[in-house]
Amino acid sequence: MWGEVRDREAGKIFPSFFASRVRSRRVAALQLSNCKEIVSPHRGAINTIQVDLTERRYLLAGASDASVAIYDIQHASEHEQNGLIAKHRGLLVVDKQHEYGHKFAISSAIWYPVDTGLFITGSFDHDVKVWDTNTVQAIMDFKMPGKVYSTAMSSIATTHMLVAGGSADVQVRLCDIASGAFTHTLSGHRDGVMSLEWSSSNEFVLMSGGCDGAIRFWDIRRAGCFLVLDQSRSQLGRRPPISESALKKVPVTRTTAGKISARATTSQKRLHPGSGSKNSTIQTKGLNLTGGSTAQRLHPGMSSSLNRATSHYGAVTGLKATADGMYLLSSGSDSRLRLWDVESGCNTLVNFEAMRLQTSKPLQLAVTQDSALVFVPCMASVKAYHVWSGLTFQTFRGHYESVNCCYFNWHDQEMYTGSNDRKILVWSPNLLAVNEMEADDKTADQDNWSD
Amino acid sequence: MMSTELTAVTRGAAATTPRLIEKATNSTASELDTRLLKAIKLAARSNDDEISAAVDALMDQMKKPHSQVRYLTVLVIDELFMRSKLFRTIFVVNFDQFLSLSVGFRKNLPLPPPSTIAANLRSKTIELLEKWNSSFGVHYKQLRLGFDYLKNTLRYNFPNRIESASRLQQEKRERELRTKQILLDKFENLKENISSIKSDIQSTVDEIGQCLEIANVREGNPLDFNVEDNEFEELNSLSLRQIRLESLKEGEKVHENSENKAIFDALRESYRLLISKHLPSVQEWISVLVRVDTTDNKFRDMALKEFIDLRNLILLVNKRCTDCGISLDVIVAPEEDGDLWEEGKVEAYMPDDPISSTSKSEDSFTEPASQRRHDVVPPFDNKSSVSKLLISESVREKLLAVAPVLTWSPFLLDKWGSRNDVLANQRGLEIEGHWGRVDPDAVIPAEKIAEFNVHCTLYKEQPVEIRPCLAPLKKGGLCQRRDLKVCPFHGTIVPRNVDGNPIEQSPLFGVSNGQPSEEVEEKEQEKELSTEVNHIEPKQAEPRESPHSCKKLVEDLAKQAVLNVRQRDTDVKSVKRAKLAQVRKHNEAILREAAIASTSYSEAFADCTKAASLDIGFGVKAKKPTLASMLKKKVTARDRISRRLLSTKADDASSRRFTFGEDSKYREAFPNQW
Repeated sequence: MWGEVRDREAGKIFPSFFASRVRSRRVAALQLSNCKEIVSPHRGAINTIQVDLTERRYLLAGASDASVAIYDIQHASEHEQNGLIAKHRGLLVVDKQHEYGHKFAISSAIWYPVDTGLFITGSFDHDVKVWDTNTVQAIMDFKMPGKVYSTAMSSIATTHMLVAGGSADVQVRLCDIASGAFTHTLSGHRDGVMSLEWSSSNEFVLMSGGCDGAIRFWDIRRAGCFLVLDQSRSQLGRRPPISESALKKVPVTRTTAGKISARATTSQKRLHPGSGSKNSTIQTKGLNLTGGSTAQRLHPGMSSSLNRATSHYGAVTGLKATADGMYLLSSGSDSRLRLWDVESGCNTLVNFEAMRLQTSKPLQLAVTQDSALVFVPCMASVKAYHVWSGLTFQTFRGHYESVNCCYFNWHDQEMYTGSNDRKILVWSPNLLAVNEMEADDKTADQDNWSD
Repeated sequence: MMSTELTAVTRGAAATTPRLIEKATNSTASELDTRLLKAIKLAARSNDDEISAAVDALMDQMKKPHSQVRYLTVLVIDELFMRSKLFRTIFVVNFDQFLSLSVGFRKNLPLPPPSTIAANLRSKTIELLEKWNSSFGVHYKQLRLGFDYLKNTLRYNFPNRIESASRLQQEKRERELRTKQILLDKFENLKENISSIKSDIQSTVDEIGQCLEIANVREGNPLDFNVEDNEFEELNSLSLRQIRLESLKEGEKVHENSENKAIFDALRESYRLLISKHLPSVQEWISVLVRVDTTDNKFRDMALKEFIDLRNLILLVNKRCTDCGISLDVIVAPEEDGDLWEEGKVEAYMPDDPISSTSKSEDSFTEPASQRRHDVVPPFDNKSSVSKLLISESVREKLLAVAPVLTWSPFLLDKWGSRNDVLANQRGLEIEGHWGRVDPDAVIPAEKIAEFNVHCTLYKEQPVEIRPCLAPLKKGGLCQRRDLKVCPFHGTIVPRNVDGNPIEQSPLFGVSNGQPSEEVEEKEQEKELSTEVNHIEPKQAEPRESPHSCKKLVEDLAKQAVLNVRQRDTDVKSVKRAKLAQVRKHNEAILREAAIASTSYSEAFADCTKAASLDIGFGVKAKKPTLASMLKKKVTARDRISRRLLSTKADDASSRRFTFGEDSKYREAFPNQW
C-alpha cells in the first residue's frame, strides 16, 4: 500500500486509479463491524435504509412499527468499553406517537436528493409524507390509492422534483413536492408496483417493477411506458453486438415503441452523454415513420401497455440501476437476480449463483459505484456477487432473521443492512491498523491455553 | 479467496483435529473423554491450520442429526472458544448457524432427537453463550448479536449467573463501604471526645477507689471471732476444712452494715456504671480502632494504647470490687433473698399434711394387699437382679427366643406362674371379716383359675409373600403381577427361572415345591379317587398306585418320557453351545494378542490399542449403548395400544416400509454405528 502511495506521488499511477485500488481493497475486506453499532429504537422489521446523498453522513431508516429514525454515522453519540464500541443513537425518531406519524409500517424512506432538509416516507397506511428534517414535521401528505411499497426520487433531476410512488394499486403516481399534487399517473402494470428506480443517467426515465413480473420503463414526458423488459430477449456479454442489434432494429421497436439510444453506438453515446432522450425522440419519430403497421394505429404508450412480457416469474421485488445508468439489476420472487442492459433492453444472461430471496417484501439492493459488486439480501444473510460474472464474492452473516434492505456507502466503503430482527448492522472494512491498536489496548481477547 | 485456498490445502495435509473431534463426539457419555479432549487441545494449539480445520469439523459435527453428537460438540467448542483467539475469530463468522443448530430457535430447524438431550443441549448452549458473551462479547459483535437476539427477541431465559454474582458482590462492597464510613465517623467522633471519655472513666474509677478506701478504713479490724480453734483436729474432713477456710475468708471481707451503707450505695452505683457502661464502651472503642481504616495512624495507635490501659484498669477495679464482695448480682439479689426466706418458713410447715396422711394410710394397709404386692414385685428383688447379672447373655437370648409373646393385659402378670387356690367368697373388698362371714374353705382350685386365665389371642394372619407371576413380557422384563394362583394374563402361576421360562413344563406333575401345582394335583386326584381311595395325604396317594387311572398313567408316563428326552436334548445342546462360546472366546483372545504383538505400533501404543479395542474392535459384541440406541424410541404400553388400534386401519406393510426408511436414513447418517 505504501508503495502505491509513493507511485502516486511520483506520478506513476493516476490518483483516481490509486483511489479505486484502495477502495476495492477495502470493499474486499468488508466484515461485520465490531466498533460501530447503531442502536436501533425500532420495534419492528427495518424495511428501508438510505444514507443522504449530500453529506453521506445521515442514515435514514424506516421500520415496520411505523417509526423512522435518522442516525449520524460519522459521529458516535457515545462510546463504550474504553472507546472500543461507538454507539450511534438516533438523532431523531418519528414513531406512531408523533403528531404526524404514520399509522402502519413504513415501507420506504428516502432522502431528498438535494439536501438533508427533507425526507420522504411511504407507508402501508396509503400515505406518502414529506418531512422537514429540522422541525420534524410532515409538511406534505399524498394520499395513494393503496399500500405504498416504494418511493423514489431522481438524484440527478434538475428540472423536476417528483416523488414516484409505487403502491398496491396498478398505477405509479408521481407526486410533485413543489405543488403538492400528483402530476402523473402511470398505468401499465397489471398488479401492484413493488419497486421503483429512477434512471441514473436520464432524469426523465423511471423504471418500475411490478408484482406482475414486468419491469417497465417510463419517460415521464410522454404517455405510457416505452420499454418492457423481456427475460426471453437476451444478449451474451456486456454489450449487444452491433451488427446483431442493427438487424434486430425493426422487430424490437415494434414491440417496444419509443426507445432510447438502443441503436446508438458506444462512441455516439460518449459524444452525447446527456442527450440520450433527445436521440431517442428523434429516432422514435424516424422509426414510427418508417416502421410498424399494426402498432402504429395505437398510441405508442398504449401499444406497450398491451405488451405482456415479463422479466421475472412472479413479482419483481427489487430494482437497482448501476451508477453509470447503463445497466439495471432486478431481483424477483423467483429467487433470481438479473442484469439488464438498459440500452438494448436485453437480459445479459449473467448467471448469479444460487440464492434464496424473500418473496413477499420489496428488497433493497445495493451496487458499488464502479458496478463491480452487487449486494443482495438473501434471507438472513447478505450476499455480494460480482456483477459481470455472477460469482459469489462474499456472504455476510450476522442477522438472525430475513434482511430487507442494504445500502452501500461508497464514500466510506461501508455497508448498512436492516433486517426483520430489528437491527441495523454496519459492515466496515477490517482495518489492520485498528486491529493492532486493539491488540495493544486490551488484554482480554488473547489466547488462553492453560493446558 | 487466498485464505480459503490455504485452508483447503492445509486440510488435506494435517487433519488430526477433525479425526479427534469426530472420535470425541461419537460417544454416549454426558461428558467428554478427558484424554481425547486433551489431545484435541494439544493438536489445536500446535498449529493455526489445525484450528481452522477444527472449526470446520466442529460445524460438520453440529450438522449431524443427533443431539448427543451436537451436545458433545458444543462442549468441545466451549473448550477451544475459551482458549484460542483464532478459533473465536473463525468460529464467530457462522455464529447464527451455530446457534440455530444448538438452540434450535428456527422453527424449520428443530433440534434432532433424543429430546431429553436436545433440551440439555439447548440449556447448555444458552449458558455457554452467556459466559462467552460476558467474557468476549466486547470483541465480537456476532456474540453480542446472538445473545441479544435470543434474549430480547426470542425471550430465552438466561441463567444470568454472572450478573447476579456481580450484583451480590456489589451489594457486599456497598455494605463494606457503609460500615467503613460509619467506623470513620466514629473515629472522628472519638478524636474529638477522647479526653472527656477518658476523664469520665477515670473519675468513676477514682470514686470507686475512694469508696473502697473509706470502707476499709471504717471497718478497721473486722470481727475476729474466727481465731484458730482448738477443735481443729475435729475438722479432719477435707471438705469441712474447705468450708471453714472459705468462711474465714468471707469474714475478712468488708461487710455492709447500717454505718457504711451510704458508702456502699455510692460504691455500688459507680461500680455498676463502670461495668455496665464504661467497660462495654471501652471495648467498643477498641474494636472501632482496630477495624477503622484511617490515615491518622499516630492518633489511632495512641488512642488504642490508652483504651487498652483503661480496660485493664477497669478490669482491675472490677477484681478489687468482687474481692470486696461487691458484685452486680449481689446488688440486685438481697431484697429477694429476704422474701424467699419468709416463704421458706411457710413451706416448712406445709409438708406436715401429706406425711401424716401417708402414715395413716400405711397403717390401714391390710395383710393381703401387702402380700399381693409382694407377689407382684418379685422380679425387682435383690436376688433376681443379682441372678440377672449372673445369667449370661446367651442364656437370656435363648429364653427370649422360647418365651411366648403375649399382648399386655393388667391381669396377666398378677397371676403369672402362681399355683395357689383363690378364695371364692370374695366381695371385692380386702377388709377381712368386715362385711360378713368369710368362708375360708370356699376356694377356687388352681386348675380352674388356670383355666380362667387361659390367654386368648385374636387370630392374626401371617403376611404371606405372594410371588410375582414372572412370565416374560414382550417388551422385555418379567411380569411383576402378584396373584395367588392364576395370573389373568399369563395363566397359572408356575415357578419360573431367571429368564421367565417355567421350570416344570407339565402342569399335572407338579412334583416340585410349587404350592399351586400341588393343589391342582390334589384336586385332580380328588376327582378321580373320590370314593375308592381313601387318601389321607396327597403325597402318599400316588396316582400310579391307583388301578383305575391306568390309561391316564400310561399317557402321563409317555409325556414325561418325551419331556425327559427333550430336556436331555436341550441340555446337550446348551452344553455344546457353552463349549463353542468358550472356544470362540479363546480364539478371539489369541487373535487379539497376536494382532497386538504383530503390528509395529503395538509396542508403543500398547495401552492405546487396549483402550481402542474396548471402543471399537471386539467390544462391539458387548452391546455398549450406542448413539443409535439412544435414538431408538422406547416402546411404551401406550404405543403398543395405539399401534394395535391403528393396525386395523393402516396395513402392516406400509408401516414396515416407513420404519425401514427411517432405519436406512439413520444408517446413512451414521455409517459406522448400526
